[in-house]
Amino acid sequence: MILGRLIGTVWATRKNPRLENRKLAIVRPYFWYNPSHDIEHVVAVDQVGAEIGQDVLVCVGQPGRWVAGDYRSPIEASIMAIVDRVEIAQRACEDATVPFVLRQDFRPATLEWTP
Amino acid sequence: MILGRVVGEVWATKKNPRFQDRKILLVAVLGRNGERHDPTGEVVVALDTIGARYGNVVTVTWGSGARAVFQKPDNRWILADAAISRIVDGTTEESGKGEEVECSWEE
Repeated sequence: MILGRLIGTVWATRKNPRLENRKLAIVRPYFWYNPSHDIEHVVAVDQVGAEIGQDVLVCVGQPGRWVAGDYRSPIEASIMAIVDRVEIAQRACEDATVPFVLRQDFRPATLEWTP
Repeated sequence: MILGRVVGEVWATKKNPRFQDRKILLVAVLGRNGERHDPTGEVVVALDTIGARYGNVVTVTWGSGARAVFQKPDNRWILADAAISRIVDGTTEESGKGEEVECSWEE
């Protein structure tokens, strides 16, 4: 799954019939981890009704395709949820045994640090 | 599958109806660093299936295999591509010097 920010939408009049009535959204991942792609953005089918600027979770691959249509649909990613809050334990960054660092340049708007 | 440590949680109320109503956890990926496992700085998002908590070392399963963690055999309608499949108690690895090193992850 990819956590990212919805930064735009795609409009198209001529498209594959299996994409009819499908809203397409452009999501910019937070680059914490990209399982198989090193990409700047993902275009995903939106069935949840997310708006520009919101944080969303994107499901990629077969599960995303089945949910937005069937196995014949030309779909690779779909939005699964709109994120309200992202919590990261403060201990995880201060604790010497867990010294992981988040990228400074792009962070979720909804990120909160908890003790 | 990857090895990682649970560091946080994601909350969402508006979800796709096919989304399994599970906790969404943030997992810091652990990489091999000499004889230790250190976080690589990468964080992944995964659905919890076994009640993992902050600090637990877990394995995350990717792709269609993640759906198999939830339900069998007809799991095509489940929307999940990353699932926490087990809480790791310990690992045994080759140290690089021909010895086997045991590592306990229990708290």
